[in-house]
Amino acid sequence: MSKSIFKLVYVLPLNNLTVFALRSLDKILPGEWENIVGFENTIRQVTGESDTALIEQIGARAIQLYNDKSEGYQRAMWLYQTIDSTGRALGQAALAGKVTENVPFLSIVNRLTPKPEKAQTIDLCMKLVTEIVAFCKINGIPGDSVGDFVKALGDYGGESLVRMAALVCFDGLVPLGPNFIKQTEQVLGNLTPKDLDSNPAFKAIKEAVPGRKTADQLTFIGASFESVKGWMGNFVESKGITPQSVAANLKTFVDIADDKMDYFGAFLDISTNYYEHTGVQTLARRLVERAVAEI
Amino acid sequence: MLRKVSIAIGTLLLVGLLAVGGCQLTQLKASQPSDSAKWEQIEEPAIAVDKKAIINGGEFNKFFPTADGYDRVYTQEKNGFAEAKLNQNGNTLAMLSVSDTASNPNAALKYQNSERALAGYPLVEVGSTATSLLVAERIQVKVLSRDTDFTPADREAWLEKFDLTGLAQLIN
Repeated sequence: MSKSIFKLVYVLPLNNLTVFALRSLDKILPGEWENIVGFENTIRQVTGESDTALIEQIGARAIQLYNDKSEGYQRAMWLYQTIDSTGRALGQAALAGKVTENVPFLSIVNRLTPKPEKAQTIDLCMKLVTEIVAFCKINGIPGDSVGDFVKALGDYGGESLVRMAALVCFDGLVPLGPNFIKQTEQVLGNLTPKDLDSNPAFKAIKEAVPGRKTADQLTFIGASFESVKGWMGNFVESKGITPQSVAANLKTFVDIADDKMDYFGAFLDISTNYYEHTGVQTLARRLVERAVAEI
Repeated sequence: MLRKVSIAIGTLLLVGLLAVGGCQLTQLKASQPSDSAKWEQIEEPAIAVDKKAIINGGEFNKFFPTADGYDRVYTQEKNGFAEAKLNQNGNTLAMLSVSDTASNPNAALKYQNSERALAGYPLVEVGSTATSLLVAERIQVKVLSRDTDFTPADREAWLEKFDLTGLAQLIN
């Protein structure tokens, strides 16, 4: 069996570049995210309970629920982990391209690397799909109507909201620029099932993307982006975020020597795993919320 | 050329920071008490339950309460479990939940010693934030405070707002 939930939440870093990057979003979403590490700590924070025996009871039920594969929590965890590891691979490829420019013997590496913009666009979409599929694995489809479900999706807060903000900033604005929504639409419009099948991010999570054939999955990806693009556009506009402001916020934590945005985006890809980090926190929170209600 | 050099230096700096960050992390972890070992002892194998007999969470949705001035946002719907947030002016006051104790039989045991009842069903307080009752000896309805102003009396008032009769009919 994969790692248990209490271990996953225990080994979350207190300070690394992922945490720095997520903290830099505090300027955009003040007070929204706290880096909660440790299982007992999570139970205390989520439930407000302090009795040790009760905390152990809640924890035992949460562990039991997570360990039961049929509950879907492990699948959600796999999605969060897998999409981040492909992000890192993509980042490494993109960075290799930057560093090896004009180096003839390594130019073959560039030819093997997908065009960063297209790959980055697909990566952004795959992260969105991951979020939607993982949400359903964790929470089911809450409520009795489409309206209920949309309301549940719109109820993002804490680490889930910060994950979405990070997606917009680190995988949208920084690597693709201020027109990333339009650009993604254009790329998606021209994308063929064959393109998709050759993309590492898609290949990694293909089995979890709804749709029988790649063409159906492409339709699902398009629909996912379509349903979230309005929220993303509003978010960028209402918060007044630009690629430069995202980078400037990060300068508090990391001295960015160069402001070349696609290069910076590639670096974030390699060095952070914010989907996995906040995904573990979302899972732990939801499991604890269910466990305390079920015991 | 100068630009390329500056990019290379930038890379080295960032990679260096990454390594330093990693070292700090190791030190911080070493000083933390391990709650991991404790949970390993607590971890128990799942109790064998008949999953097919468990009522799907979706069956519970229509029995959840609502009221003017409050916003009810469903948050989870799993096998044997449904939960909603009770919000007011964007603030979460409480969590409302219904669960089938067939999926977690231990949960029903605490009602055996219950001295209180609400609407004819045994009532217990769990910890300092939750109040629950057991309908038809099987379905647990629980309200959990998420705001300090949401008192035990509020929890009981909201428990009564559930369609408890409707929930009981799921069993009979």
